[in-house]
Amino acid sequence: MTGTLLKVEGLETGYGDIQVVWRADLEVRQGAITALIGSNGAGKTTLLRALSGLLPLRNGAIFVSGRDLAGASPQQFVEHGVAHVPEGRRLITGLSVHDNLMLGAYRRKDGKQAIRADLERMYALFPRLAERRRQDATTMSGGEQQMCAIARGLMAAPGLLLIDELSLGLAPAIVDQLVTTLERVRADGTSILLVEQDVGIALELADFVYVMDQGRTVRNGPADEIAADPSIIAAYMGT
Amino acid sequence: MLWLQVLVNGLAVGGLYACIAVGFSLVWGVLNIINILHGSLIVLGGYLAFFAHQYWGINPFLFAPLAGAVMFAGGVALQYCVINHVMARPFLITLLLTFGLNLFLDNSMLALFSADYRKVLLNPAPGVFDLGSIVVPADRIYATLVGLVLISALALLLRFTQFGRAIIAVRMDRDAAALLGVNVRWTYAVAFGLGVFMAGSAGALLSAIFPISPVASAGYLSKAFVICVIGGLGSIPGAVIGGFALGVIESFGALLLGPEHALTLAFVLLIALLAVRPSGLLGRQGFA
Ligand SMILES: Nc1ncnc2c1ncn2[C@@H]1O[C@H](COP(=O)(O)OP(=O)(O)OP(=O)(O)O)[C@@H](O)[C@H]1O
Ligand SMILES: [Mg+2]
Repeated sequence: MTGTLLKVEGLETGYGDIQVVWRADLEVRQGAITALIGSNGAGKTTLLRALSGLLPLRNGAIFVSGRDLAGASPQQFVEHGVAHVPEGRRLITGLSVHDNLMLGAYRRKDGKQAIRADLERMYALFPRLAERRRQDATTMSGGEQQMCAIARGLMAAPGLLLIDELSLGLAPAIVDQLVTTLERVRADGTSILLVEQDVGIALELADFVYVMDQGRTVRNGPADEIAADPSIIAAYMGT
Repeated sequence: MLWLQVLVNGLAVGGLYACIAVGFSLVWGVLNIINILHGSLIVLGGYLAFFAHQYWGINPFLFAPLAGAVMFAGGVALQYCVINHVMARPFLITLLLTFGLNLFLDNSMLALFSADYRKVLLNPAPGVFDLGSIVVPADRIYATLVGLVLISALALLLRFTQFGRAIIAVRMDRDAAALLGVNVRWTYAVAFGLGVFMAGSAGALLSAIFPISPVASAGYLSKAFVICVIGGLGSIPGAVIGGFALGVIESFGALLLGPEHALTLAFVLLIALLAVRPSGLLGRQGFA
């Protein structure tokens, strides 16, 4: 439960000439679930894209387990144990659940046996996926697709799972189920950085919370502390 | 009996025609490039087989995968070093680039090998399978069989290997594929290389059946194009159906309109088909 898995310092990034993230500083501790909240357009997705090598940095540093990964490619981030479950799930059309999960293991070098064992572990974690392993992944319900996207991320055997918008568009019952599953995933040794527009869920699941506003990480603190802050509740809980 | 013979003649080249088209279809489906170079690559494969036969006496039907393998390496390098730089550009730019590469390769082959038509003359000649009332030319059957074996191997590769899944992922969603750790540029290069492999193999297979010359490249490109559109773009079964369909259409076209108009009938039927089924017989998104 100790040690820093991910450390981001003064990160700036954007799209071409458009700068979106102006200053992000954050830390994900080993074994923790860390949430990143903020209003629409704050730059959360953009930050996560930079944290998996999809966007180049303008400035700043990214350390994964102490290793400097600024400027690394998406493949290198995956190889260093960072898996990204993207906003909108982005499952591959035309491929079955099984094939999508196998793609999650694309960069693994620990052999067929280990991959097969993890595949069975995913089917145990998400029994719904086991029933549908031959089905085209994008023809499943939203909740099932989110399960598949999370399982696909886990198939990389990551130390850190980045999840962008866990609950978006899903029924509360499914979200509860996913929350329980993620707690198990964390207990099994994978740390999580969660971007979540539903602040209630973020505060329930996370140990530590960062607040992002207009491209900057403006606040952070333990989840119970943030949950007790009236200004946060006023700004992000719509009450 | 004449009609049956004509039908069999057409079917006999079906697998060869599928082989001509499947690489073109793969590159179009996965990289979204209409590869104008494809016809010249077929001719190049034909020359490789011609010289392999002339100098080492290697049978072109057996040489086909080897011709494909040699050209595969060149295809990967060409895509990675040249075509990759315009992948993100509009469709017309990639079309123009492959058109330029086509001119370059055709003219290089003209300079090296002249425009003379060449053909592998097998000794002993393959002859025919005599089925009583009809005969089946053996060389076409060999080409079709080897062609279908290579196409099946490609289909298995795409369907059951990690690399095949990556090709489909890159086709469907580049960013999602990158997040899974797929090297997008390299995957494009190898997919293009596979297209070149099939073109080179097809060229070797046809070198003992059809004449080889740089000036024939446009004809092979047209065949590939027609087959893909008939069968439907972006599917291997589509290329196979289209290959057999074009074989039969050409065979009847030659009978009804004369050999020089064989492809004309195919184009006429193609336009009619497009009016009814714009996506071709088996067309769909992506490639599998
Ligand atoms: N591809 C892009 N090109 C240019 N600008 C972009 C691009 N994607 C996002 N942006 C801009 O970046 C800003 C931040 O977007 P981002 O998607 O990171 O926000 P977010 O915090 O994830 O919001 P949400 O809660 O709605 O998902 C927005 O102003 C958006 O318009
Ligand atoms: Mg977002």
